[in-house]
Amino acid sequence: MRNRILAMSILLLAASAAVAQTPAVAKATAAKTKQWQTPWGDPDLQGSWSNATTTPLQRPAKFGGREFLTEQERAAQDKDSTIATDKRAAPGTPEDVNGAYNGFWWDRGLSDGRTSLIVDPPDGRIPPLTPEGKKRQADQARVNRTPGAGPYNGPEDVELYTRCIVRAALPRVPTGYDNNYEIVQTPGYVAILQEQMHETRIIPLDGRPHLDAGVRQWLGDSRGHWEGNTLVVETTNFSDQATFEGATKNMHLVERWTRVADNRIDYRFTVEDPATWTRPWTAAIAWNQSGPLYEYACHEDNYGLYGILAGARAEEQQATANRAK
Amino acid sequence: MKCSGSSDQVLLCAFLHRVGGQCFVIQARQHERTDFTPGMACSILGCRLVSMKNWLAVAALLPLALIPALSQSNQTSRLKGTAHPNLNGLWQSLTEANWDIQAHAAQPGPPQFGALFAEPAGTGIVEGNEIPYQPWALAKKKDNYEKRFVRVNTDGVRLEPLDPEAKCYMPGTPRANYMPFPFQIIQGDKKIIIAYEFASASRVIQIEKPGLPPEDSYMGWSVGRWDGDTLVVDVTHFNDKTWFDRAGNFHSDALHVVERYTPESANVLNYEATIEDPKVFTRPWKISFPLYRRLDKSVQFLEFKCVPFSEELVYGHISKRTGK
Repeated sequence: MRNRILAMSILLLAASAAVAQTPAVAKATAAKTKQWQTPWGDPDLQGSWSNATTTPLQRPAKFGGREFLTEQERAAQDKDSTIATDKRAAPGTPEDVNGAYNGFWWDRGLSDGRTSLIVDPPDGRIPPLTPEGKKRQADQARVNRTPGAGPYNGPEDVELYTRCIVRAALPRVPTGYDNNYEIVQTPGYVAILQEQMHETRIIPLDGRPHLDAGVRQWLGDSRGHWEGNTLVVETTNFSDQATFEGATKNMHLVERWTRVADNRIDYRFTVEDPATWTRPWTAAIAWNQSGPLYEYACHEDNYGLYGILAGARAEEQQATANRAK
Repeated sequence: MKCSGSSDQVLLCAFLHRVGGQCFVIQARQHERTDFTPGMACSILGCRLVSMKNWLAVAALLPLALIPALSQSNQTSRLKGTAHPNLNGLWQSLTEANWDIQAHAAQPGPPQFGALFAEPAGTGIVEGNEIPYQPWALAKKKDNYEKRFVRVNTDGVRLEPLDPEAKCYMPGTPRANYMPFPFQIIQGDKKIIIAYEFASASRVIQIEKPGLPPEDSYMGWSVGRWDGDTLVVDVTHFNDKTWFDRAGNFHSDALHVVERYTPESANVLNYEATIEDPKVFTRPWKISFPLYRRLDKSVQFLEFKCVPFSEELVYGHISKRTGK
């Protein structure tokens, strides 16, 4: 009985504390929201941000249905991703050359504590392919070669990133380095500069219609609006020269940016493409405050691509010479 | 607008704000005309001082207030909630400077294309039409011009046309501002982005706490400040790999550009740049031209990712083509 009374008192205390705190918390959030406001009254997302994290897009099978890492797992993963980039393979081996970037060059960030960036479906995995999606991927697999195996007849045989055309199709998921974005807003527009490849997404907020369906762009055509404090951007008009996770150019992308702290934005994207996946899926990635962006010149002096093509031609000459012997 | 108070008060503030250059501050027991820094938040002016009781006084002042508003139809618009002119928009120059920043007659293009790629004549954008090259630099400019379409081997590996524009390199500052492509200014209250269609080049103009870049760059490091209604951008930390035009006018990594963007009217910005490079020129020199707002219906910033367009020119000699 005594215990019951004690338990009741604790419950009551907790409840009264909750009642007392709720308005205070709400007030603090409202004050913050006010603070994250541009002089013209829009929610303020401006600044330099990085979406770097080692949390993978899809949940590895070993986690089963588990959404979060344990503290120990997280610490171990962070330790490993910090030092693993400085482990060197046996000097002179292909692994050593491929892994020539050490920790100085990488900017992978750390785990965000979850087992996947995908939050929907709940299993943290990209949904199954539709029959059409399966057929298309099988067709592509027949055409595709083993990465790194060549032949490298010309730039078109090399991936878009190595050619410095785009880092990746939208939506952008974190990668090894230069995961930085600069957001600048003005009445009627939000601009998002992507460090790689120094392009700016200019997003009108005035509700104008999309570009003519015949005009296709590497980064599509974006239109935005505010839903409360969230910037909602819908992008269409993708090109079929770049693909996000095997989707078609008709993929429909909706992205959301919500300021949740002075130094953090909650970013989520939902992609839908009935020609590829059996259902839409959503991932959540934190954008954390970072330093200023610097120019990422890539195509200019692209020695990597020179090396790949010149090397392939040198090998052909060698083979011809060997046959002549 | 940062006005607080009743909706009547907010309405009045909105009105005061719209009037622009002149503002009428209405106080509880007196009214006076006060010089108003355009764009100043009304909160500073004391919305708190206005209440329903004073609506009669407000109504009496309305006609007076409209007079300055009408007489200042040419008034530069302000970025809402700030004291600065609003430079937002899709802008483009209408010059022939990308072919040659100096005065020049029309020139033929590659003969197989007839008149398609011939160069239009232009009166130039250089003040006094003289670029004060040091003697060695003038010789190099002439050599650049001769070889502008020639693919030259610069380091034993690459065989490339000399003109960086042909290679789809980021075009540098100020050239990006007079290429025949639009660019968009997105003016935030803390930083400004200039996004160029050509080569997807972008610049961030740092205003508060600009810092320094770790390395030289194609577009330079831009630090902005306001001089009255003029945005002044100090651009430094350039590399030596861009040209001013297709005629081979060039600079070194000591280039220093000071740009001035001044609103002339709602749809025109006057652009001026002072160019200094003690390694190449004997004195600073200036260029100037207007930037026009793109007013076409449904016009918008589009991609011109030209890397794929340049690949045959840049990598053709180390590519294997069918039948080669």
